[in-house]
Amino acid sequence: MNQKLESPYKRLLAIRGMGQVLTVTIGLIILCIVFGLMNPMFFSSRNVSNLLRQIAPILLIGIGQSYVLLIGQIDLSIGSVVGMSCMISATLMTRGVTPLAAVIITIICALMVGLVNGFLVAWCKLPSFIATLGTMTIARGIAQIANNNYNTDSIGEAAEGFRNFFYYGKSLGLYNTIWIALGLWLIFNFVLTRTRTGRHIYAVGSNIEAARLSGVSVVATTIKAYLVSSFVCCVVGLITTATSGMGTMDAGTSYELYAVAASVIGGVSTLGGQGLLFGTVIGASIWGVLQNGLQFAGAPIAIRNIVIGIIVVVSVLLDVIVRSNKGKSWKILKK
Amino acid sequence: MSNEYIVEMKNITKTFPGVKALDNVSFHLKSGQVMALLGENGAGKSTLMKILSGVYTRDEGYLKIFGEEIKGNLTPKSAQELGVSIIHQELNMCAHLTVAENIFLGKEIHSKGLLKDKEMVKRSRAVLERLKIDINPKAIVGSLGVGQQQMVEIAKALESNAKVLIMDEPTSALTTKEIEDLFRIIREVKSRGCGIVYISHRLEELQHIVDYVTIMRDGKYIAEGEFKQLPMPKIISHMVGREITEQFPRVKTQRGKKIFSVKNLNAGRMVRNVSLEAYEGEILGIAGLMGAGRTETTRAIFGVDHKDSGEIIVQDEVVDISCPMDAIKHGIVLAPEDRKKDGLCTKLSVRENIALANLDELCNKSGVVNRKREKEIVEKAISNLKIKLPTSEVNAASLSGGNQQKVVVAKWLARNSKVVIFDEPTRGIDVAAKVEIYNIMNTLKQSGIAVIFVSSEMPEVLGVSDRIVVMCDGKVTGSLITEETNQEEILQLATKFENKID
Repeated sequence: MNQKLESPYKRLLAIRGMGQVLTVTIGLIILCIVFGLMNPMFFSSRNVSNLLRQIAPILLIGIGQSYVLLIGQIDLSIGSVVGMSCMISATLMTRGVTPLAAVIITIICALMVGLVNGFLVAWCKLPSFIATLGTMTIARGIAQIANNNYNTDSIGEAAEGFRNFFYYGKSLGLYNTIWIALGLWLIFNFVLTRTRTGRHIYAVGSNIEAARLSGVSVVATTIKAYLVSSFVCCVVGLITTATSGMGTMDAGTSYELYAVAASVIGGVSTLGGQGLLFGTVIGASIWGVLQNGLQFAGAPIAIRNIVIGIIVVVSVLLDVIVRSNKGKSWKILKK
Repeated sequence: MSNEYIVEMKNITKTFPGVKALDNVSFHLKSGQVMALLGENGAGKSTLMKILSGVYTRDEGYLKIFGEEIKGNLTPKSAQELGVSIIHQELNMCAHLTVAENIFLGKEIHSKGLLKDKEMVKRSRAVLERLKIDINPKAIVGSLGVGQQQMVEIAKALESNAKVLIMDEPTSALTTKEIEDLFRIIREVKSRGCGIVYISHRLEELQHIVDYVTIMRDGKYIAEGEFKQLPMPKIISHMVGREITEQFPRVKTQRGKKIFSVKNLNAGRMVRNVSLEAYEGEILGIAGLMGAGRTETTRAIFGVDHKDSGEIIVQDEVVDISCPMDAIKHGIVLAPEDRKKDGLCTKLSVRENIALANLDELCNKSGVVNRKREKEIVEKAISNLKIKLPTSEVNAASLSGGNQQKVVVAKWLARNSKVVIFDEPTRGIDVAAKVEIYNIMNTLKQSGIAVIFVSSEMPEVLGVSDRIVVMCDGKVTGSLITEETNQEEILQLATKFENKID
């Protein structure tokens, strides 16, 4: 009897890295309770619904960055690909291209960036920090050139369906944006945990040489991770277009770093090989809850930034301390 | 069948930029045979085996595996499919993945890309059981010891139906008990008809498992033969190309006054109440099994790790050492165990490495390095220690193990040290280079320095040191005069574990 009660919890903990995810989840719950006590409206169905819709884009780019961090690399082009996708889709739609065709063309353009990133990092062996710094600048340039250095006009009546699909519409009581994020999360979590590609991603991040010598194609695995990253960025770019109804050239600025924060708070290691997409959900949620909760509590934007920055550093510091055996880091801290 | 070669390599040549690594080498292996591939560092053993396992490609030569001539180039994957597996000197495991995931890495069982984890765990368990290895297939590899990781590598090779198993220095990081397990597994694998190539510098362990020997030197094939018909001195002279007169050179000096002592040192679980003394003009050996706390002791003395309690006395004066800089100021220096990790900045040049430890003396008050003095001391150190290198500007990583070790030592010899601690200075280096390291220690001893020499290899501790301190489980279990003791007594002290059940 006793054993039966224990087993689901134990089974959950047996998953690698789940311990840390649970710790962060407790942090998330505490945050929600604190904000709820400060302002009961925090838990109103309207705010919860809005909050989830705010979390969705952060979760999506978090998934992308997590994939790339897991192979031991980084993707700095995330924010620019969001901006580029926003501008390309909006420009096409203002010029009369049907929304469906615009979406397809945008996805192809974004995947090209992912392909280039993966190729530069895996084939040309450039450090990912440099390679994606380059594509980050290029993609932002493309965002600016898309409509001759202007934000676009409104994408208009014809795109009403597009805007509902990506942002305003609801299905089963929840905004579509949330369903999109949830659906993509389910797919990419499945790929990561249950497929050969997923296993290879962990292996390459854990020990690239061991993976290569075991016959894993490091180049293909790296390119796949970058493709996932640019794909989710594209979706976020489309959501941004749907939200404002126009294309903005600086959409998605600094998103690559928000994505790192969501991943790292959720326990994805920046050194590769370690982390779960469950963690990324919690990390993105903490990010969203802090933004929303602090705003609700009336904190100015400067204070919000400072608090969130501190949370990122502290959560990684806690992780370092927990992982260093026998709490040796405490000694360093004491010194 | 058993008389047929399963691997035939003829006239293999391989050139790296600037070096001819292999020159017209031939090699044969039969099934059910354990073959020792011997030679000094840089003799080309690893290169030859990397060609056989598809890590490198050959420039020229004939290669036949299981009677099938290989025309093109092998890749690691195609070599594995042919049944050739290599276990590299630096273990290649994904530390974050489980044992089963590592065993099936690159050849996952799946249907349409979906992993079948349960089946992989089941088959991993089966192969581990077959080898009588007690490891849970769901354990994370990073949490296993080096010895167990090695066994997982062997299991991984066998799961892929390896018929030729190449082991590059498999025992260099194992404890005696683990080596016994490894040999048991090698015999097990051999009895299944696999051919095994065994590369090792520890000649004394060959007699336990080896059937046949192939010897290489300077990228060339030198000799081969049944192990039983080749006496050890003959093997050594083939390896080094000349007779080594003294495997353990020893010089007589007058023991001076006590210069250094450690009293009741405690630092964590691995250093408990350690006391020892060193005298001028004497080599003090610290013997013990792996994990006895010897490295931890040297690290605590040198101020790398935190000390809980205890005194360090240099020349009758109690000194406070809380970081390596303190130790260096008091004339204590350490040549650490892991050359590549702790001893050298492998991406810097030899010059920069040697200068690094002496920058305080090389810089003027505003911190500018005096290039002329730097060059002087570097040149002097290189010629004193006979370090073989093209120029002092080459990366430390490009040198052979023996020469790297000399650079580690050279860093410190430019200073006037009083106590020099060597932690496993001869691990993974060849016979001739070992003798050179012993000679360096002897030179230090003659110049009146107290040398502390940590080693796991009993013959060299007995052969080189004047006094021996034996450690076990973080404690000193005995202090002996070398001339009055023997291997059995040391081993007895080294395995004197506390009675855990009181």
